[in-house]
Amino acid sequence: MSIDCNDRRRILLDGSSDEWAALEQHAKSCAACAKELRAWKQLSVAAGELRDYQESPALWSRIESSLRQQQAAPAPPKSFWIFLDSWRRISTAWRSALAGAMAILLAISSVYLYKHPARPVVNQGNALLKTSALAEVERTEREYISAIDKLAANTSPQLNVDTPLMASYREKLLVLDSAIADLRAQAGENPSYAHLHYQLLAMYQAKQQTLEDVLETKR
Amino acid sequence: MGSVGLALPWEHKLLAVARDGERRVESGKGQAETVRTSEEPPQDAAVAAACLSGNLQGYERLYQWQGKRMKNLARNLLGSPMDAEDAVQETFLKIQRSISGFRGQSSFVTWTFRILVNTCHDLRRSRVRRKDQVNEDVDSLPPHKELRAPGAHPSLRMALESALDRLSAHQRDVFLLYEVEGFRHAEIAGMLEISETASKNTLFQAKRNLRSMLEPPRSSATGAI
Repeated sequence: MSIDCNDRRRILLDGSSDEWAALEQHAKSCAACAKELRAWKQLSVAAGELRDYQESPALWSRIESSLRQQQAAPAPPKSFWIFLDSWRRISTAWRSALAGAMAILLAISSVYLYKHPARPVVNQGNALLKTSALAEVERTEREYISAIDKLAANTSPQLNVDTPLMASYREKLLVLDSAIADLRAQAGENPSYAHLHYQLLAMYQAKQQTLEDVLETKR
Repeated sequence: MGSVGLALPWEHKLLAVARDGERRVESGKGQAETVRTSEEPPQDAAVAAACLSGNLQGYERLYQWQGKRMKNLARNLLGSPMDAEDAVQETFLKIQRSISGFRGQSSFVTWTFRILVNTCHDLRRSRVRRKDQVNEDVDSLPPHKELRAPGAHPSLRMALESALDRLSAHQRDVFLLYEVEGFRHAEIAGMLEISETASKNTLFQAKRNLRSMLEPPRSSATGAI
């Protein structure tokens, strides 16, 4: 293989073994290339001076202790990204069904809003829902609850399996249902309080998430 | 340091430095290559599976296998053995927190070192922020270097450390991973989320910059690189 000084940069960057051998051969008769090649090799060898693999006797016990602590600590709440990740792992059929239910809900709400535009009302403070808005919220809530109930019905066979994990899911759902019942009772007494509806929505979302987790376990 | 013309022993015969289970030799390519005297342990998947199962013995195996290498890289990135140990510990904690997200798209070691490099960068940034809060003039603080085991050429090592500090973080990462830790470009590409070609180019630039920093001034360049 014949090379000259113009090939040097390319070979230093990404030359094959043959090209390196040819460069070494060429360097025997070329002072400039010999100097470059020597410097290049010496940098590699000098890097060995930065290699210091001493034992750190206490380090593993420190790491082990912190790993144990972290393992024993309660798991942090699921983040949005973890939720997205678990959503991706749900089977396509279930994802389609849930997406379809949401799309239908959205379409019904849109049609309803189109046919029954909200009438302007006198502003009586932002914390209270107005009559038309309240009706809309209640209707949407009913549809959302209906969709979640369908989801709950689908998870029922899996939930009834007698395993510790399913028992824990059942307990969680009981707690959520109890909280939802309380909030609904309060919302029944004070239907115009927007914050009660927000809290209810949060509870329903938690329930939906839990049911989705159950479905995911099923897979 | 190097840029002002240290009389470095470039022309000396630099002996290959032995390390655990490995020896450094000069290949036909003129680059120091890591040749493992024993085969790479086929334990990457086994260690990953052990960690994934939540068994702390899996992490211990990872530490025994790669711990020294991790600490060495962290020390070269951070400059201090104490910071390096903090970085290694934090890396293990991050691995434990995110092991369920490991999909095996790269080797477990590659994934581990990616976390380590990112952790070192975070620590380095937070250290600079802390120094900024304490003292606006970071340059007036003493260097963060600490004693290491004496090598064959301590002055060469110090000059190289000083020159590495002046490289860009990216070039420093690639140089240390390739030349010091002996990773291949394909592995480095996975760790730094760059292409293999970018890794090769960055190494070339890093070595060219190091060379110019370590080269004595031309007026006294007798036998220098």
